[in-house]
Amino acid sequence: MAINLQKGQRIDIGLSSISVGLGWEPNEGTSAAFDLDASAFMIDDNRLIPEEGFFVFYGNVDSPDSALHHTGDDPTGGNSDGGDDETIMVDLTKVDPRVKEILFVVTIHDAIARRQNFGQVRDSYIRIVDNANSQEIAKYELGEDFSIETGVEFGRLYVKEGKWKFEASGKGYKEDLSFFLSKYFKGQIIK
Amino acid sequence: MAINLVKGQTIDLRKNDKGEEFDLSTVTVGLGWDVRQKKSEGGFFGKLFGGDKKEGEYDLDAVAMLLDSNGKVANLGRSVQTRDGRSMGLYESDVVFFNSMKHPSGHIWLTGDNRTGAGDGDDEQIIIKLDQLDQRYDKILFMVTIYQGRTNNQHFGMIENAFIRAVDRNGKEIARFSLSGDSTYNGMCSMTFAEIYRKDGAWKFRALGNPHQSDSFIDELKKLTYS
Repeated sequence: MAINLQKGQRIDIGLSSISVGLGWEPNEGTSAAFDLDASAFMIDDNRLIPEEGFFVFYGNVDSPDSALHHTGDDPTGGNSDGGDDETIMVDLTKVDPRVKEILFVVTIHDAIARRQNFGQVRDSYIRIVDNANSQEIAKYELGEDFSIETGVEFGRLYVKEGKWKFEASGKGYKEDLSFFLSKYFKGQIIK
Repeated sequence: MAINLVKGQTIDLRKNDKGEEFDLSTVTVGLGWDVRQKKSEGGFFGKLFGGDKKEGEYDLDAVAMLLDSNGKVANLGRSVQTRDGRSMGLYESDVVFFNSMKHPSGHIWLTGDNRTGAGDGDDEQIIIKLDQLDQRYDKILFMVTIYQGRTNNQHFGMIENAFIRAVDRNGKEIARFSLSGDSTYNGMCSMTFAEIYRKDGAWKFRALGNPHQSDSFIDELKKLTYS
């Protein structure tokens, strides 16, 4: 029983173990593969990552506190037929006390050079799943909701009164991963 | 500090993205660069009053550091006296570089010191017999430095066609990481180029391309020692 999220809709996560899954189907045309990336920013009160390791992406699959684990890069969408191709597993009981929010984004790798956007990708979605019962809590259909964009801010987990809650944001951008990273990290970014 | 978003550089050394198998008993990490063709400045007088290092000549050095399971360089070797009486450190240590070209185990060595980058292909090579390497080594970190770069006002922003690559025993290229001189590297005189590390019983190669301002690997090494 999936709920398709409305922008700004909040969901109480009364859970400790969830997965953020990203799925899409491989490009059947002759042009370049679609390479979607799921990433997470674990940010503190200053809205910055406390250390580089708190940016979890294809190049860093485990956060220093072991709260987040990224299953690794799928460069084509071929990992799964119809299911999640990249997953970020979240154990909210392990989150470093400095981290007040966890933001999730999806970007299309190399979108400008490959002239790609979400509208061209088949069956792409991002969703949150409760690991206890594999129930889908929330889901966005990327191709329909963000057809001309190349990056999407999916939503955020945040602590309120000691409980983790989820808020969907669903903001689309014509930007790449470095744009999102530069918001939450002030060091050097190598592209 | 930097975060590297460059992609597609981490591969399982047993097969590449095409699923090809490699003979990993020996891996060669090759470093190559070209001399930058600078527009002639100053003509005859420029040559007359130029420094002793010819315009556009760089001396890049490949360095390998062997790290244990704590990510540390355990063996710092010893100091030896050179013929002209200078003291030279890190001899026969877990660092393979121009003053200590062969690791004491005999399983990793540097083929030689190219001082100008002349010639196509690999200008310097480090050869690693991965299948022979002692279990206590968990990771090999590869750096490249511009020898006396700070003194000579040279940096990676000026260097052309710099690359590092890994080649298997049969000469099949496993991975290649290109690095053209771009403004990101202006003022940077050394770089952590790549690492080969053990994971789930196999070796993996990851290109990093993290630049540093220092022209010596010693500054990075200091972060990786027990003392």
